[in-house]
Amino acid sequence: MEFVLGLLNGGVGSLASYLAAHVLLCLLPAFFIAGAMVALIPKASITRWLGRNTPAYVSYPAAAAAGSLLAVCSCTIVPLFAGIYRKGAGIGPAITFLFFAPAGNIMALTYTGSILGPEFAIARVVMCLLFGIGIGLLMALLFWRDDVRHDAQTDTLFAEQATISRAAAGVLLTLVAVLIFGTLKLWPLTATVATFNLPLLWAQDWQATLFQWMPFDVAKGEEGVSFQGSVLIVLLLLIAVTAWKGLENITEGANLWTWLALGLAATTLLVAAMGLTPKAGGLEVALTGRVLALAVAMWAVWHFAHQLAVDDWRAWLWEAWRFVKQIFALLLAGVFVVGMVRQVIRPEWIETLAGSNTLPANAVAVGFGVFMYFPTLVEVPVARMFLDLGMHPGPLLAYLMADPELSLQSMLMVAVVIGRAKTAAYVGAVALFSICAGLIYGAWVDGLGWAPLTLTLGLILTLMGGSLAWLRHRQRATVPA
Amino acid sequence: MLTVKILGSGCANCKKLEAVAREAASRANLSAEFVKVTDMKDIMAYDLLSTPGLVVNEKLVSSGRIPTVAEVQKWLAV
Repeated sequence: MEFVLGLLNGGVGSLASYLAAHVLLCLLPAFFIAGAMVALIPKASITRWLGRNTPAYVSYPAAAAAGSLLAVCSCTIVPLFAGIYRKGAGIGPAITFLFFAPAGNIMALTYTGSILGPEFAIARVVMCLLFGIGIGLLMALLFWRDDVRHDAQTDTLFAEQATISRAAAGVLLTLVAVLIFGTLKLWPLTATVATFNLPLLWAQDWQATLFQWMPFDVAKGEEGVSFQGSVLIVLLLLIAVTAWKGLENITEGANLWTWLALGLAATTLLVAAMGLTPKAGGLEVALTGRVLALAVAMWAVWHFAHQLAVDDWRAWLWEAWRFVKQIFALLLAGVFVVGMVRQVIRPEWIETLAGSNTLPANAVAVGFGVFMYFPTLVEVPVARMFLDLGMHPGPLLAYLMADPELSLQSMLMVAVVIGRAKTAAYVGAVALFSICAGLIYGAWVDGLGWAPLTLTLGLILTLMGGSLAWLRHRQRATVPA
Repeated sequence: MLTVKILGSGCANCKKLEAVAREAASRANLSAEFVKVTDMKDIMAYDLLSTPGLVVNEKLVSSGRIPTVAEVQKWLAV
């Protein structure tokens, strides 16, 4: 019984501290950005570079850009993947797109950055980009004959052209500014501009009660729920209620609840950026540079959103809300379960299996990633747990690369579009490349200098360039222009 | 008799699109047959880059977004 209680307590504690501490300044803007990307970036502005007559040095980066900008959910990933493969640039760019999408999209990027640290986010993106293109090229080399056959078909799907409107670009850029101002831990943002006291006498008692309910151990990397955290959790619940009423039918027009939900979301961001310290005799409120920067950035978002066409901003809010519905509940459940599991796993196990940056450790991490399936983004709190339990960053990166790329769901989907043989090759390539990425990153963390790192990455790039040239040579030789 | 197809693997947007399309049909007093196409191969037979897709009498009228009820009514009326 006590064991079960301990488990539940671990789950609740991790959920509460997570909601209070991590989610807001990064995920709330990220949902809005993801929605804006889906609704406001015309797909044709990127897909025009994915037609079959585009040269490879354009189509591969374009495929990666599509993965990062257009593919925030499976609604786009599958059809676009199939489209690029069958009617567009071929299997290479299609695979690059597929591989880069789960790691390069805005949600994954910001979430990895806020939970695991910016260096992990950068390593994940750079490695996924590099190896995504690498795996794409490898697949194109292995199956170049099929591409020749597909190339014979006509292609109108990628002929359409479009550019992103000024207002939409403004909304996107200012939203990114909100995200950056909310998460960056740099000087003018963290400085306190002004403080004042609110005469809330119950604040200190409430704080004490919270710590009593949710005891935490700083040494184990656990976090408690502060007074501010509890305020934020209440605000989040209010948003959930109002958003349900205000955003569920947003495509038919906004209502009072819509504005209430949006206002609450803005308030939540501002409160999260303040410093709230319960003191004897009241609550001390510290206005930070972050609060001011966020206020300005959110005003700018409002300014540009005003210029959007009615259909556009409705679609934007709908997509943002859809992401919240689709991802948030699963993410919370995932965090809860991770908090429970953490009570059971002994650090020694992780230490022995993947405590150092070796080939077997990386292979174990990749194997775990392939066989475990976590819903979108849940791989990140799982990775955080492993990191806290003593996993080496190298194998951890290998796991982070393999897990979202090779879920059962994505394998089935790939199999439907490209067939079993190619799927097997893809899975093998991902496993291999993930292990390499883990080894390289791990070596860098262990103190490998810039020179060998640049040399290794340069070598990989040269190899990729060489294979590209060979591929084009082969294709020219078989298909007379 | 109209045939309206909803293309999509069952994600939230496809359900929403179906609701919008049904609403449009009933507002316009049209009887239409609704078909949900969830198989990826069948979906890819239409030229679209993102689901959900709406097909009226075998013609793809919208993809990758949720149209308004008024828009769908227009497409159904043709």
